[in-house]
Amino acid sequence: MSGGSMLYGGDEIGALVFDIGHHSMRVGYAQEDTPKAEIPSAVGVSEDGTMIDNLDPEKKPDPSSITTSGRKYYIDTTTLNVARKGTEVVNYMKDGMIDDWNLFEKVLDYTYSKCIQSEAVFHPVLMSESPWNVRNKREKLTELMFEKYNVPAFFLVKNAVLAAFANGRATALVVDSGATHTSAIPVQEGFVLSQAIVKSPLGGDYISMQCKQHLQDNDIEVIPPYMIGSKEAVKEREKARWVPKRNIPEVTNSWHNYMVKRVIQDFQNSVLQVSESPYDDKVASQTPSVHYEFPNGYHQDFGSERFRIPEALFDPSLVQMKGGVVGNTMLGAGHIVSTSVGMCDVDVRPALYASVVVTGGNSIIQGFPERLSRDLSVRIPSSMRLKLISANGCSERRFGSWIGGSILASIGTFQQMWISSQEYEESGKSQVDRKCP
Amino acid sequence: MTTDVRDILDLEQAPTPELTKEAILGTTADKQKKKLSLSQPAPKSSRRPEGMHREVFALLYTDSKDAPPLFQTDTGSGYKQMKAKLGMRKVRPWKWMPFTNPARKDGAIFHHWRRLADEGKEYPFAKFNKQVPIPNYTDSEYLQHLHSEFWTRSETDHLFDLCRRFDLRFGVVKDRWDTAKFPERTIEDLKERYYSICGSLTKARAGSGTPETKVFVFDADHERRRKEQLKRLYDRTPEQIEEEQSLLNELRKIEARKKERDKKTQDLQKLITAADSQTDPRKQEKKFPKKKLQHQTRPRIDTNALELAGIKFPDTKTTGVTVRSQRMKLPSSLGNKKTKVIEQLSQELGIELNPIPTEQVCQHYNELRSDMVLLHELKIALSTCEFELQTLRHQFEAFAPGKTLTIPSTLFGESQGGADSTSGLSKQKAGSTEIIDVVGSPGAPSNN
Repeated sequence: MSGGSMLYGGDEIGALVFDIGHHSMRVGYAQEDTPKAEIPSAVGVSEDGTMIDNLDPEKKPDPSSITTSGRKYYIDTTTLNVARKGTEVVNYMKDGMIDDWNLFEKVLDYTYSKCIQSEAVFHPVLMSESPWNVRNKREKLTELMFEKYNVPAFFLVKNAVLAAFANGRATALVVDSGATHTSAIPVQEGFVLSQAIVKSPLGGDYISMQCKQHLQDNDIEVIPPYMIGSKEAVKEREKARWVPKRNIPEVTNSWHNYMVKRVIQDFQNSVLQVSESPYDDKVASQTPSVHYEFPNGYHQDFGSERFRIPEALFDPSLVQMKGGVVGNTMLGAGHIVSTSVGMCDVDVRPALYASVVVTGGNSIIQGFPERLSRDLSVRIPSSMRLKLISANGCSERRFGSWIGGSILASIGTFQQMWISSQEYEESGKSQVDRKCP
Repeated sequence: MTTDVRDILDLEQAPTPELTKEAILGTTADKQKKKLSLSQPAPKSSRRPEGMHREVFALLYTDSKDAPPLFQTDTGSGYKQMKAKLGMRKVRPWKWMPFTNPARKDGAIFHHWRRLADEGKEYPFAKFNKQVPIPNYTDSEYLQHLHSEFWTRSETDHLFDLCRRFDLRFGVVKDRWDTAKFPERTIEDLKERYYSICGSLTKARAGSGTPETKVFVFDADHERRRKEQLKRLYDRTPEQIEEEQSLLNELRKIEARKKERDKKTQDLQKLITAADSQTDPRKQEKKFPKKKLQHQTRPRIDTNALELAGIKFPDTKTTGVTVRSQRMKLPSSLGNKKTKVIEQLSQELGIELNPIPTEQVCQHYNELRSDMVLLHELKIALSTCEFELQTLRHQFEAFAPGKTLTIPSTLFGESQGGADSTSGLSKQKAGSTEIIDVVGSPGAPSNN
């Protein structure tokens, strides 16, 4: 403890921070500014491990694929992206909560052995959870960490709170636009006001779906890179000339779809943009188009559609027009925020509007914060001060909650909050509800 | 800075010593004292010689009386110390060591990096563990003092439990309220119950011996009304806000107009009363009919409140001897323009500018000049009024073409009479009986 660390209030005790999301899990040491590893929540599972081993050319045991009772698990990007016969892609998350505990354990095992490369016994663990996590899942997670991994201490925090902390606020309205949904979560002095959470299922995955639909409608084939052996350069909008790779193992549908989705996500990241004002065909067609080349060599310019697709995030009435999959009851991002704040006490409303924190991977779509700010300023009373806080960096936005966790776990005054293993032995898992509000 | 100012003003040195690095750090406190005692008599002995600029003197004779340094230094000793003292202290090693946090009740042991020297010291962050004091109550206390027909015991317990958990953040308490077991409560309900319990507990426990402790009273009704109002304020639609804004703007305009009008009438009244009060003593016999007329034609405001428009000669009743001609001196507040007017009028009347100041002459001369100024101002006011009247007439004709506005000649008669009161009187009398149509060719001022 030097004077300096006292001044900044930091005290690092070697804690680990886990931020669990639907798209990926972020892991790293507290006090660092980016996570050590980001592991996709999707895991490849093959039913019969022995058969795979025979087919696999490299015989040496792969630590990232864990075999138990004839099952093999392929965890993390490098192993998951290899084409293998009969490997199904399964996601252990559902609705922002951990669903497949068995799979989750496998991922944790992998994390400790490959990413952290240290014993779980030495590191207190701080985990994030979705604000609507249910009690039995929280207790189960606590039990798992103490019983299986013997962590010295454990703590659970809502990811919205962490995102607010990462942006230097204790009271904030967190707009988290992630893979599966966009949600507005009011945080008051470090506590989530759970009654006023508003969610909408329009997230990154929905945008991916819309992109896929759009590409299908325009007869653009999306071929994931694993299928392509070689390709030739073609002119714009010309049919792609490519040769399929030989000896591709018989992959499952889910794995193929997962690979297609990855291509579409890349397309989504590089092409899409949210228009500054409500979508207008004329304005959109006048803005410069963006060129994109697909893995099979086909390439073309994308004009107004790059604005039209993400428009659904702000104006869900467009959702029905295309696809017809989802109804019209959803709320746009601006609406979500104002509804959520409207459910809070009148006295905290100004504070919430004064710090609207934008976080989550889907908010990286170009122009997302600007549009949200514009929509909100129309909605809220003019006397109210509106301030939108969004980290500029891509990783700060994607890892917002993780960074908040990293900050929280390395604060000196936080060290009294942990549920220690002693406490767990005394009063069991049920105290997680009391100690981690 | 302050010493500079004092220097320029030729003041004594301030008793407080100048702020130096040492003074702030407090390291060389005794040295400072010595310096002070030395420097205290110094300024007396070396006064600045006449004609020498203070900057030059300050360069030569500062407290140390050394030759001025070529470069600025922040230490008194300059470059006397040849060797830099860096890293002379021993390295203080750090160690990854276990610690217990006294803020925790379980005595859990964590590890962190800490200086070896600090080993075994208390965890420095433990002192930040502040708790909000929330009172406890016993069963008997509850039965005696805290019973309420709206709250059950278990609900009250739940409230206090939540208050303890969330350190009285009532917004969060309301959010986590167990609605399955208990009816829904607003924040005001919770606060009311909590503070009433706190109040009655302190009252019950205070007894007679202990001094009266402060009891907080929570005005729930007031809070509810306040929030209701706030909610309404926030829930206004944009149209409502716009309407309110435009109404406010209108109000502001109306007020501005009213103010302007008030000012104008007040100016006018001022002149009128001034004219009346000044003419009063001298032309009493002619005064009566005119005054009556005036009463009929226009309203009056209290004359006492208004000051005269003529010259206000300063009161010369000061101590000591003065020359009487001083009384005739025009006050400097009069302004150039009016002085000119007086001069001009005096010339026209053939009056000397500086008559011999006998007692009588003084008085009359002053009165005369005061009247001159008043007359001048009345003339100006009259012409502006006439002008306004004309413009109004033209406006009226523009709005209602074909119609003509008849202006009561009393208004005009007076205008002619202003300069010459005797002729004005006769004309006014005539004007009050018959109405003269004052429609001339537009643009040209009417002359009946």
